[in-house]
Amino acid sequence: MSHKVTNRPETKAQVVEPLPLDPVIETYKKDIDVTLLDENLKLTVEQRILNLQSFVEFALELRKAAKTACS
Amino acid sequence: MKAIDFPALLRMLTEGNVEFIVVGGVAAIMHGSARGTFDLDVVHRRTPENIQRLVNCLAPHSPYLRGAPPGLPFRFDADTIRRGLNFTLSTTLGPLDLLGEITGGGRYEDLLADTMTAELFGFTCRCLGLRKLIETKRAAGRPRDLDAVAELEALLEKTKTS
Repeated sequence: MSHKVTNRPETKAQVVEPLPLDPVIETYKKDIDVTLLDENLKLTVEQRILNLQSFVEFALELRKAAKTACS
Repeated sequence: MKAIDFPALLRMLTEGNVEFIVVGGVAAIMHGSARGTFDLDVVHRRTPENIQRLVNCLAPHSPYLRGAPPGLPFRFDADTIRRGLNFTLSTTLGPLDLLGEITGGGRYEDLLADTMTAELFGFTCRCLGLRKLIETKRAAGRPRDLDAVAELEALLEKTKTS
């Protein structure tokens, strides 16, 4: 079973113009933790979704715990 | 609030033969984003047949307008979906945004050429290509997306150079 995001043949052939530079986005880019991106790119797409699933469940547990602590 | 079950939602739509494209935060995750999201955004094909398939597979999961007061009359059927365009729903599998079109990208048919497919959990899933995802987020122009766009552009640069 392959997990790679793959281009399908129906993807249109086109000359890809570079995205126009946006100075605001360029500023935000300086603070991106690229090590996290590198780690994610080593994973399969399925693993990325499973990580997201774990993150969401963890976040909801934290919310529940915070609610309990405040009540 | 119940945690969204991403694999179950994707499987439900795929096994229901719904024509859809994953967009938004989950598409970003599929491309390698390190940002979390709490809902699934999909653009669906607006043909009567596809809308009916969507209704058939989603109806058992109690779809309701997210954030609407309980008791508000809402009938989830093909007619309702046909008359509307974008729906933010709660379901027993978690929050699902059912979109007929997205800013900067248009409808299913407009987006199709800029999609990619991924094999996951034993089925094939179509998601918006990274570049188009950036274009749609840029077009939406929401301040909260600036950081996400910056990250997606960093990913695009990485995938170009790898």
